[in-house]
Amino acid sequence: MNTIHITLGILLGGAILTYFANKIAGIVRDIIFISTLLVAAVLFFVKMTPDTIANFNLGDITLTLSLSHFGLLFSIIILGLGVLAGTYSLPYMKGKDNLGFFYMNFLLSIFGMLGIVMANDWVSFFIFWEIMTWSSYLIVVYNGKDTNKIGIKYMLFSALGAYSMLTAIVIAYSQIHSFSIEALMSQFTQLSVSYQIAIPLLFLIGFGVKAAMMPLHVWAPDAYSNAPMSYTSMFSGALSKMGIYGMIIVFVNMINYLPHNTVWREVFAWLGATTAVLATIWAIFQDDAKKLLAYSSVAQLGYIITGVAIGTPLAMIASLFLAVLHGIFKATLFMAVGAVEYRTGTTDMTVVTGLIRKMPWTFLAALISAIALAGIPPIAGFVGKWMLYESLITNGNYILVIAIFFSSTAAFLYVYKLLYNLFLGQEEPEFENVKEAPALMVIPMLILSGFSIFLGFLPGYLFKYIDNALVVMGFPVSEGKWWQMSAIFNGWGNKVSVDLVLYTVITVFVAIAIILFYRWKNSHYVTTKDISLSGEVPKEDENYSFKLDFFKPFERAISPLLKYKIETYYKGFASGMEAFFDFVRRIYNGNAQIYAIYVITFLVILLLFANYIFTV
Amino acid sequence: MVNDKNSQKIVDIIQNFARKHSLFVLAYGTGCGAIEIPPTMTSRYDAERFGIRGAATPRQADVLLITGYLTTKTLKRVIRVYEQMQDPKYVIGFGSCTINGGMYWDSYNTIKVLDKYLPVDIYINGCMPRPEAVIEGFIKLQKKIAEGRADGAKQYKENFEWYRANQKKVLGPTTPHIQEYNW
Amino acid sequence: MDILIKILGAVATIIIAFVVGMLYGGLNRKVTARVQNRVGPPFWQNYLDAFKLVSKKTSIHHGVMQHLGPAFLMVSSIGTLLFIPILKGNNWFPNLSFHGDLIFLLYLMVFGSLGLALGAGQTGNPNSAIGVTRGLSQMVGFEIPWVMALVAIMIQYHTTSIADIMHVQEVHGWLMFQKPFAFIAAILAMFGMFRYSPFDIVGAPAELASGPVSEFGGKYLGLMMSSGSIFAFVKLTLYTDLFLGGASNFIELLVKTFLLYMIPVSYGLVSPRYRTEQAVRYFWGWPSFFGLLAILYSVIF
Repeated sequence: MNTIHITLGILLGGAILTYFANKIAGIVRDIIFISTLLVAAVLFFVKMTPDTIANFNLGDITLTLSLSHFGLLFSIIILGLGVLAGTYSLPYMKGKDNLGFFYMNFLLSIFGMLGIVMANDWVSFFIFWEIMTWSSYLIVVYNGKDTNKIGIKYMLFSALGAYSMLTAIVIAYSQIHSFSIEALMSQFTQLSVSYQIAIPLLFLIGFGVKAAMMPLHVWAPDAYSNAPMSYTSMFSGALSKMGIYGMIIVFVNMINYLPHNTVWREVFAWLGATTAVLATIWAIFQDDAKKLLAYSSVAQLGYIITGVAIGTPLAMIASLFLAVLHGIFKATLFMAVGAVEYRTGTTDMTVVTGLIRKMPWTFLAALISAIALAGIPPIAGFVGKWMLYESLITNGNYILVIAIFFSSTAAFLYVYKLLYNLFLGQEEPEFENVKEAPALMVIPMLILSGFSIFLGFLPGYLFKYIDNALVVMGFPVSEGKWWQMSAIFNGWGNKVSVDLVLYTVITVFVAIAIILFYRWKNSHYVTTKDISLSGEVPKEDENYSFKLDFFKPFERAISPLLKYKIETYYKGFASGMEAFFDFVRRIYNGNAQIYAIYVITFLVILLLFANYIFTV
Repeated sequence: MVNDKNSQKIVDIIQNFARKHSLFVLAYGTGCGAIEIPPTMTSRYDAERFGIRGAATPRQADVLLITGYLTTKTLKRVIRVYEQMQDPKYVIGFGSCTINGGMYWDSYNTIKVLDKYLPVDIYINGCMPRPEAVIEGFIKLQKKIAEGRADGAKQYKENFEWYRANQKKVLGPTTPHIQEYNW
Repeated sequence: MDILIKILGAVATIIIAFVVGMLYGGLNRKVTARVQNRVGPPFWQNYLDAFKLVSKKTSIHHGVMQHLGPAFLMVSSIGTLLFIPILKGNNWFPNLSFHGDLIFLLYLMVFGSLGLALGAGQTGNPNSAIGVTRGLSQMVGFEIPWVMALVAIMIQYHTTSIADIMHVQEVHGWLMFQKPFAFIAAILAMFGMFRYSPFDIVGAPAELASGPVSEFGGKYLGLMMSSGSIFAFVKLTLYTDLFLGGASNFIELLVKTFLLYMIPVSYGLVSPRYRTEQAVRYFWGWPSFFGLLAILYSVIF
């Protein structure tokens, strides 16, 4: 029994125990849940070494699990986010029903994800992939609303992806007669050309569904916003990275060796850029905070897919850094929105307003994460974005840079919309008694924001893990060439010293703040109702916050782009298929007597023309 | 300290020099006298060479121009606007209506003597005063600022109850009410 | 000792940027006045305005974010200033330009407007929020040709550092003539950056009650005006370094930046205001076309 057995066993056993403990008492269930997470995480990080191998025998197939440095990077996100999101969900889910079910699926998702990054052969990969998909589906339909539309959409696309992946695995087995990932990688160049194209394509469809790449992303906005916020922080933070994990494996090990790999890379880089641009634009016009963050997740994943598709060492470092960082700041934002929902009951941005004085810590965490999302120095988002841009410019993808930059600038718009509509603006008497979120919800948010700031001036700590991961994938060591502890380079000899940036920013900020806060006593606080509204005072029930049609001029400016939604094409396809099936129903209409006529007619024809059909 | 009063005087001189040469006038035409403001501000009579320019909101403005007659309805808004401005602030009474009621001396809903409701620094008489008279009024205001006598805001703060009582007499239950006035 | 000289030099740079920036603002008002056939304020008018605003005796604020907003704006302006080489190859004005490059500067410039947006949002005035949304939409507009011009320069000379681009211009001649399309695209984007007519709908006094700054008075407004002036100087210096070959002494810097400054000022004097969607669509039209031409030109030649 080595660490892998123990960790996975703890997670699986904890899941089952949590489900049954729910029937005993809530507090027992909570304790079992959080202790499972903590024990599994601590055990994993303390005792895991790269040479631990676990084998399971299923008939004549052996499942092999081991952890490489590449998997270690992703497992940091999985377990770290799992622990923090689990802590967050303890007060968040209080009072809801079917909680044993929820926590069981929560733990099963973590179990599935951990298995994926440790899988050494495709069968165990697929098994854990499906466990992860099933448990996340059950949580997406947890609150019972719109299960048909949202749940079935998610399940359909996940099934599409999973079955294409299964087809690829089976094709590979039929050629190589082994399920091992290593074997496929090493013998890939010896397959025939049609298989060399089919296998990566099918894999990429499977991974693309999870990573919400266009045009396979239509499940993402509804699924992310319908799941409870404590799960969505892990859903969009860690689960979508499993698609990225798979994509990196496919791109580095398979597509590198194809003769036309530049075509593949261009196509997928443009798919990533299109995802980024279009999802950002859709995010700008959402009125529900959850949907806005969901579209924004899809857009950020577009950046990462572009980086992976480009494939130079700098681009890989950039996309892995962005992947980890996206998990951190997006989880914080989902948690902040969840905290707002917990206290006010709604996340509709046209209703909630003016919460900054009532929930200051939530606002602080949301502000830091929003700055990280926009990619502004000195918070860590800038480091990833900088490396992505530099990699695109040095690699010669000039138009891609423009598209990514457009999407990144447009991200300021929805970031401002989220912060202004939820926290700033005029205060509303309906939310007079809103208090700050409970401590167990605020602490994970602040820890994650602290990571964003910390990685902003010492990104080297994360770069070390990324470096180890890339060395496993076959890239050369990058320390000193692309990064140092607190400086980042590009291939042309320019660099940014992020610690100097931070010192400068803090010095100037403190100096200006001192100047402003000097003579603070003379500065007189007035409420948000005391505004210069042409000599009038807003009454208590008039709220002048600007909320509806927030970006109407921008919408008018890009109205041609908003006419096309990919979902309409899917719906058109589905209704076309339904019309076809209706037509077939006329023939195959379930009436036994008609079937008897068909059989007899067929026999008559056969007998009549027997001479012509059966002559040799 | 011996130097304290002198240094305070020097600081005051410099501050008043800056204040008198950069007056932000709130763009608010309260009465019919406002028709003379656009010619004053634009090319022919160019008030900008004295540093006078328009400001959009009372938070940014120094000078409030009461241009002409003030109905009680406008008085309520003007008081609110005046209290939203920041010290040091000046009020210029424009036209005869602010001095003694002018053309509307026997009307039932205009106020006759502006000084009872807001502290006025400079009056410019006429009906309406031409742009040259307006500019001369501003120059008088500049002189008053330089001498340190333009302290209408301080008077308002010190005699606040008296002003409020007068306003209440005229406005009745719609007198603007602010929670604490301790600026 | 070295650090002390550097810090003193940094402070000197900031003071010079403030003085020159305000001077340019005053000169702008003077030129506008002369074009409109009147005398206009003296060219030192902006200093008096700033000093008067700072010496207001009372001030009001709507919350802590309203203090942090102008602070972010100043951080962005001054931070950008410290990372741009002001004079060519000079020891007295220390610059951290070897520690930050063009893409970093692009992002640092945007930080300020976001900070101002948040500070304006706390005031609760709907006009500030409307002004901010218009400003952000316009920003998406002009960033596209600006980035295209910068990318064209970066890919031709294989560097993203401003000091290197200045060195290149010593050898090849001014980039204004070497890469005319990039220069045209960058100048057209500069109109959007400076927010003069025709793109001044963000802070229009009569349309929006001056937009984001509508609730800022006293020292906040003074800080905002100074930050605007410093930022104008920073942008002009950046353009001089990128397209006009940098400046080796102070007089040359003043002459070049003033000539560049006259372009948006003189165009703004004679043009009416665009609505927001017209402005955004305009930036994605001809300026982006010139930007694309610039990139093609760099790739082919």
